Amino acid sequence: MNRGVIVKAARETWAATLLLGLGLLFVEAILSYVLPTFQEQFSATFLQLRFVQSFLQALLGTEMSGRIDPGMFVSVAWVHPVVLAIVWTHAILLCTRVPAGEVDRGTVDILLGLPVSRWELCCSETFLWIVSGVAILSMGMAGNVLGSSRLPPEMRPDASRQMIVLANLLCLYLAVGALTWLLSSMSNRRGRAISAAFGAVLASFLLTYLAQIWSPAERVSFLSVLHYYRPLPVLRDGLWPARDMLVLGAAAAGLWVAAGVIFNRRDLSTV
Amino acid sequence: MLLGFLRPTAGRASVFGLDCWRNSSRIKADVGYLPGDLRLPSWMNGGEALRIFGMIRRRDMLRQGPDLAERFALDLGVRVSEMSRGMRQKLGLVLALAHRPRLLILDEPTAGLDPLMQEALRHLLREMAAAGHTVFFSSHTLGEVEQLCERVAILREGRLVADASLEELRGRSQREVTILWNGEASAPEDPPPFLRLAAREGRTWSGHLAGPVRELLVWAASQPIEDIRIGHPDLESLFRRYYRQGSDAS
Repeated sequence: MNRGVIVKAARETWAATLLLGLGLLFVEAILSYVLPTFQEQFSATFLQLRFVQSFLQALLGTEMSGRIDPGMFVSVAWVHPVVLAIVWTHAILLCTRVPAGEVDRGTVDILLGLPVSRWELCCSETFLWIVSGVAILSMGMAGNVLGSSRLPPEMRPDASRQMIVLANLLCLYLAVGALTWLLSSMSNRRGRAISAAFGAVLASFLLTYLAQIWSPAERVSFLSVLHYYRPLPVLRDGLWPARDMLVLGAAAAGLWVAAGVIFNRRDLSTV
Repeated sequence: MLLGFLRPTAGRASVFGLDCWRNSSRIKADVGYLPGDLRLPSWMNGGEALRIFGMIRRRDMLRQGPDLAERFALDLGVRVSEMSRGMRQKLGLVLALAHRPRLLILDEPTAGLDPLMQEALRHLLREMAAAGHTVFFSSHTLGEVEQLCERVAILREGRLVADASLEELRGRSQREVTILWNGEASAPEDPPPFLRLAAREGRTWSGHLAGPVRELLVWAASQPIEDIRIGHPDLESLFRRYYRQGSDAS
């Protein structure tokens, strides 16, 4: 790894990381307080709607089976579309920096003119991406703790179970980031790589939702990254989603290596 | 290709005896590079650029950098986003030179520089060349190449059509001859066989010598000539000739 590349990348991304981290902290604080507090009102109104039930089941990744309890509301705070959008936006922003971002803004010539190998560049950028990913998720967790600290003790979620959900979310973050990295390594335009990555996560989201209401989609729902992120069973039963995390981790590793190989072999120049 | 941006489709390129694709980062440790279309991250100022590039290079670029900036009259405190084209070019040059590389690869280095700074750069490059550094210099301003370079290569449609010292290139070419006759009527009908005329304009003939100089001098002594100039072609006419030859061949 190269310290100079890490410093340069940190200098270029800290503002986005801080902004998105604060956003996640705020959203988590609100959701973790509001949802359990007003669970009766939500249960009486929204949760009676078929559409909302399917949508929630898609987000939670499991059958609700009429069980509406504080655990379900706590887990919504970890699967809310705004939370996922913030986490994915961060992963996509950081993982399209090199090479697509550098080629796009014309700075790749000067960067590759320095004595740093492409693998070293890849590893240094990845290090910063993972560190800032952990930071942003920690800010989300801080928001969650802050919000739920206002709840009565019996309604507060179990911290150790929340940590398991956070670890699962980190794996999801890494898988989405690695897919974005692959798209970036094949592109010369950052906008194109960002669009493709957002398209892929949106498709993943839709597939998970469709799988709740349409059986053909259910058969291929394993292709969606959200299929491997199910906070509700974790928060209810405290079990480690080892298989889901393994699949996401393996996908992240495989996609990252593929991205690195492509980045290392391709021609890169703005001329 | 020399810096490992592009992979050769055939053959290989090497610098310092190392393969440019496989050992790219080792080679670049001793290379200073200025791209033709220099773009730097807009948030950096000169000082930050020297610090960060130095960290990436694992060299202290802040030792030489400020001196170089002073020679180019560059304020290192200005952010790239607020710099003019010329200032960015100067910063690019400082970043390429501050680690005293063995090899400098400069693509159009004088672009955007005022004449005084161009002269300062030429002076600096001569100093570096005299100290044993190799300067690989690409330019469309041939007068500049002529002033600076010892060895010249000419590329035509991506192919190397000439690669020799300037003297050798001149020696290989026919001498340019310009004759000024006493009067328009005094010029003979036909030129001698060793003189290939390219143009006749009033009292003036210009062309190339296709034989020994002595033969031309003997012939000229018996002619009503007011003035005669025999010289080597400049780089621009050599360049034109190479391009014309290429076009004729194709």
